[in-house]
Amino acid sequence: MSAKKWFLVIAAASLLLIQAAPAPASAASTPYESYNYNFWEEAVPAPAAYVPKLSISGADIGIGDFVEPSDMVVSSSGMIYVVDSGNARIVSLNDQWKVQHLFNGYEKDGETVAFKNPSGLFVDEEENLYIADTDNGRIVVLSKDGNLLKTIEQPASDVLPKDFKFIPLKVTVDRAKRIYVVAKGIYEGIMQFDEKGQFIGYVGTNKVQRDYTEMFWRLLSTKAQKAQMVLFIPTEFSNIDIDAKGFVYATNIDPDSKEPVKRLNPSGEDVLKRFGYFDVVGDIRYRIAVGPSKLIDVKVIGNGMYSVLDANQGKVFTYNDEGDLLYVYGGKGNQNGTFKIPVAVEHLGENQLVLDRGKSNIVVFEPTKFGSSVNKAVKLHYNGEDEQAVPIWQEVLRLNSNYDIAYIGIGKSLLMDKKNGEALKYFKLGMDRESYSVAYKRYRREVMKEHFGTFLTVLLVLAAAWLAFRLVNFRRQKRKLTISNFASQTLKEGKTL
Amino acid sequence: MKQDFITFPLHVIVHPFDGFWDMKYDNKGKVKVALTFLLLVIIAVILRNQFAGFLVNYNDPRYLNSLTQLVTIVFPFFLWCISNWAITTLMDGEGKFKEILMATGYALVPLVIIYVPMTIASRFMVEEETAFYYLIMTLSTIWFLVLLFVGTMTVHQYSVFKTITTMALTVIVMGIIVFLGTLVLSMLQQMADFFINIYRELIFRT
Repeated sequence: MSAKKWFLVIAAASLLLIQAAPAPASAASTPYESYNYNFWEEAVPAPAAYVPKLSISGADIGIGDFVEPSDMVVSSSGMIYVVDSGNARIVSLNDQWKVQHLFNGYEKDGETVAFKNPSGLFVDEEENLYIADTDNGRIVVLSKDGNLLKTIEQPASDVLPKDFKFIPLKVTVDRAKRIYVVAKGIYEGIMQFDEKGQFIGYVGTNKVQRDYTEMFWRLLSTKAQKAQMVLFIPTEFSNIDIDAKGFVYATNIDPDSKEPVKRLNPSGEDVLKRFGYFDVVGDIRYRIAVGPSKLIDVKVIGNGMYSVLDANQGKVFTYNDEGDLLYVYGGKGNQNGTFKIPVAVEHLGENQLVLDRGKSNIVVFEPTKFGSSVNKAVKLHYNGEDEQAVPIWQEVLRLNSNYDIAYIGIGKSLLMDKKNGEALKYFKLGMDRESYSVAYKRYRREVMKEHFGTFLTVLLVLAAAWLAFRLVNFRRQKRKLTISNFASQTLKEGKTL
Repeated sequence: MKQDFITFPLHVIVHPFDGFWDMKYDNKGKVKVALTFLLLVIIAVILRNQFAGFLVNYNDPRYLNSLTQLVTIVFPFFLWCISNWAITTLMDGEGKFKEILMATGYALVPLVIIYVPMTIASRFMVEEETAFYYLIMTLSTIWFLVLLFVGTMTVHQYSVFKTITTMALTVIVMGIIVFLGTLVLSMLQQMADFFINIYRELIFRT
């Protein structure tokens, strides 16, 4: 009886304690774990850079659910376009999530032509829409009111095979109105069209990975066996984007590639900077069952930053212009802020948007203090204003003292100010050996210049001391020698005596 | 003392044929000295791993363990000596175990005298100069290998070709010893488990 009572009292007390405990800081917690990789390639917990703010489905904005949406674009004026593939339409929204226009097709020669499974979209600065109308096998260019400007049909060229079928998936356009298209079954690279829609050629081919065991087996096998084997073909690109300078960013989904993200210059060479501690590949540590990141979208954010979307794990990785991983957010799951089948990442002002095909919604992420500080500092550093970046980097370090890029950023600013000794400390913390070397070279010269007089004096004194020591020693030994000689002589004389 | 610990080892490393001959036939070497150099090498390696300049030191300081480093040097050292003794006994080598131990120990001298100053120098180097660091470190290893070679040759009175063969065989025997050792250990473990299980079954029987 009394035991029961006691038990009741304890239970009540524990309940009270639970009530009294302060609510965990879950207000800003995320449904995914936030981390970054350190120099030793370990995933180290980091504060979240972006947290989910809200999610928006087609029903929320009053146009019925999206069906298998496959692309999303935010134009320079802030309009949001969603490619609603299953409903064969393009939806344009303003930044208040109000529907502005529904593009179901276009008028050509008095007839209405409907889209058929459109899957890619680009919006240029004049708000013209470039639509990859996949199952119709054409690129459609519409004005912002939905008037047809032109179409690009199946291209004809000597380069292309006779039975070539044009199935455009993704599209982007540069300043000179050249159109870049990722098409299905095209391994030669990205198709490039001039402003009139004439096929020019390919840019940026993915390299074939050499597999030595495969080559060995090939060496041993017969012709019939060889014919059965898989062909070594480069992988297709998965998505493209273009930056303000007209460089094309492209991703591919080759699981073995060390360079799944490319930045192609106008002549088609890959010029992406990869100066970080590790490759620009998304996750560098993963379970074998899960596999490496599968990058299916890339978005240029500006100031050298770009985000890539990993469909395998549903994560967004953001890099700076030098290829350092800035932050990671997202994950797979059912909670708000995690994705089922993410297909596109965009940015709207400070926020980032991710389009989820599996859940048919758009998730809006807003930066935390940490995220926006990193963005601000990277922007200042990119524009050469390192000194102004220092207080922001210090703020970042206050929030995350494992953030190597911040140490390097501060170090570089100190180096600029000729505070080489202090810069050394920061570069060491950031594990940046190259910059450390530069700083140390200057520091060493500085110290030597400053202390050259002292150094020389010490050297001279030491030399003099050594000489004096030798001289004294020599004298003493000479004396010893003469004494011993004298002694032996006397001994001899004594003997003879 | 000075003769044993400084003069003679320095003589050996610059005049290896002469030096190892004196070690074997004039009884100038001492096991005590060889073991001292082993200890000094361990200390030099630990110092290098801990204190080499930032630009050349790629060790993760969180995982540096002096005891592990001690084992990773002492174990191969004695493994080499035992394997070498085992193989040369079969191959008409004239060396005794003591002499093999001394030859191997004296061969370590260049590592000691190069590692320590290079560790200090590396702290004052910039990126372009680290090439010298790596060069000199490689030279010290080559020097060590040459001394080991000459030592083995002199101690056992072998020809050049036979020395190379023996050294290669020694490495193979080292592998075999490690393999057998692991085998014995795992068997002992299983036997122990077996008896523990019998004991358990006996006490749980009622």
